[in-house]
Amino acid sequence: MVAARGLTKRYGEVLAVDALDLDVPAGAFFGLLGPNGSGKTTAIHMLSTLIRPSAGEARVAGHDVRREPVAVRRAIGVVFQEPALDRSLSVEENLRLAGRLYGLPAAEIRRRTEELLALFGLGARRRQSAAALSGGLRRALDIARGVIHRPQVLFLDEPTIGLDVPNRRAIWRYIAGLRAETGVTVVLTTHYLEEADDCDRVAFIRAGRVVASGAPRALVENLAPRILEVEGADLEPLALRLAPKLGPALNDGQRLSFCFHGSAADFGALQSELAGAVEALRLRRPNLNDVFLWVNATQTPAPPARAAAR
Amino acid sequence: MLRPVYAVMEREVLRLLRQRARLAAALARPLVWLLVIGAGFGALYDPAGRAAYQQFLVPGVVGMTLLFGAMLAALGTVHDKEFGVMRMLVMAPLPHAWIVIAKLLAAALVAALQALVLLAALAALGYLAAGAAPLLLAAALAATAFACAAIGMLVAAFSRTLENFAAVMNFVIFPVFFLSGSLYPVQALPAGLRAAAMLNPYTYGVDLLRHALPAGAAGLGTDFGIGRDLAVLALFTVCATALACWRFSREAAHEPLVRRLARKGA
Repeated sequence: MVAARGLTKRYGEVLAVDALDLDVPAGAFFGLLGPNGSGKTTAIHMLSTLIRPSAGEARVAGHDVRREPVAVRRAIGVVFQEPALDRSLSVEENLRLAGRLYGLPAAEIRRRTEELLALFGLGARRRQSAAALSGGLRRALDIARGVIHRPQVLFLDEPTIGLDVPNRRAIWRYIAGLRAETGVTVVLTTHYLEEADDCDRVAFIRAGRVVASGAPRALVENLAPRILEVEGADLEPLALRLAPKLGPALNDGQRLSFCFHGSAADFGALQSELAGAVEALRLRRPNLNDVFLWVNATQTPAPPARAAAR
Repeated sequence: MLRPVYAVMEREVLRLLRQRARLAAALARPLVWLLVIGAGFGALYDPAGRAAYQQFLVPGVVGMTLLFGAMLAALGTVHDKEFGVMRMLVMAPLPHAWIVIAKLLAAALVAALQALVLLAALAALGYLAAGAAPLLLAAALAATAFACAAIGMLVAAFSRTLENFAAVMNFVIFPVFFLSGSLYPVQALPAGLRAAAMLNPYTYGVDLLRHALPAGAAGLGTDFGIGRDLAVLALFTVCATALACWRFSREAAHEPLVRRLARKGA
């Protein structure tokens, strides 16, 4: 449904996206993950025809983004980081304007508006102006605006950025409802990695390149069975001391993290060995954040762990 | 292709109806010029008397309404770039040049509506002399509205942010208005100013309106023929629109929008 080969965007000397390859099958829930400035948004902008690639090619819903931008735009819905709404128009009027920009007939727009107002919990606000909505509801309206024409692919650029936790959950609920109802292919970017757990497949990008990709569970399982965290006063000597036994550590200034492949007995032995030398010793399940941190750490000499953890 | 164009036009009319202050200003601005400035200059202008000058000014203030109405609506495109609607428009399944066409039609329509309201007020105040030609008036309103909207789209396509809006007011709208035959016959201007006025497409719009709303007094007539007025307006509108369409089809026109959307992530 979305396929990119060597997709590149260069701004002067800066390579915002560097030969990106992507394959997103129809119906997939695909996450493009990475820190701020990694090129996620630029990639989405190229795939949605807002900007032209400097090199490489991409096909979305069977159309070439460079040669058939209008056909691509007809087949996709895009929700940017900032709303694409008319603040002076009401909720309903915004949906009608969007529907007509896609050339939908009036009856179809009315039907879709009712469906979407119900799905996104906006029914009671239909006559309010978009400017009067809270951040969460405005994002919900923006997503409803993006899918009024039943796109085959929905691009969501940081759909939960700037929202509080209840609103973030609501947005994910809406997206899940939308996928269940229409089977739309969703390509999203986020830097809240815990939100990408539900994706079928994720790609980590860094400095415009894919550095790891796969199903979230497989990526997590491949990393390590457990993550061992060590907290203490003097982390550097501790890391050197434990390295022969545990391998390299990530040091984020607060704690050391190791990929732990040992047994419960090994952990017990470690506990008695380190008693008194450390403040805390913890064993936990790995998650996508760990995958991301380790991918970054192994690709660069000095792990930018703090920046990436944001 | 037509449904989106119609949607953009309807939005523009809805916005105008909701912005009461903008509507009130559209009516008050020309009436102030006509009743206050018209009376003042009329008193200075001896030969034909006060009433004659005010009558001369009627097409000028109708033109002013078209100019301000169309320019402000067209420049709303710059506002849309910053406040989200342009994101909806650039993602619509239309070539980007159509955004220019849709906005141009919307701006011309909104300007013509404001001029019609003003004409009704002028008729009620007794400023519409007998001898007005309705068909010619309709053509003059349409041609002038399109030319003014085309000036606006040209500026909008090339300006990046709203910050230079005041500059646009001072360096585009006011010169276009003052360097035309709105307030004085072009023939009576000194050579330099006359040349500038004759390069100004809006001059021909006012002249055409003057053909349609004759003042009657000798010495305060029209400057050019109807055919020349229409030809200049049409030629300018087509060229300016083509240039604005070209600019809008290029990625550079949308760079501020893209940059803003990439601010948080990238």
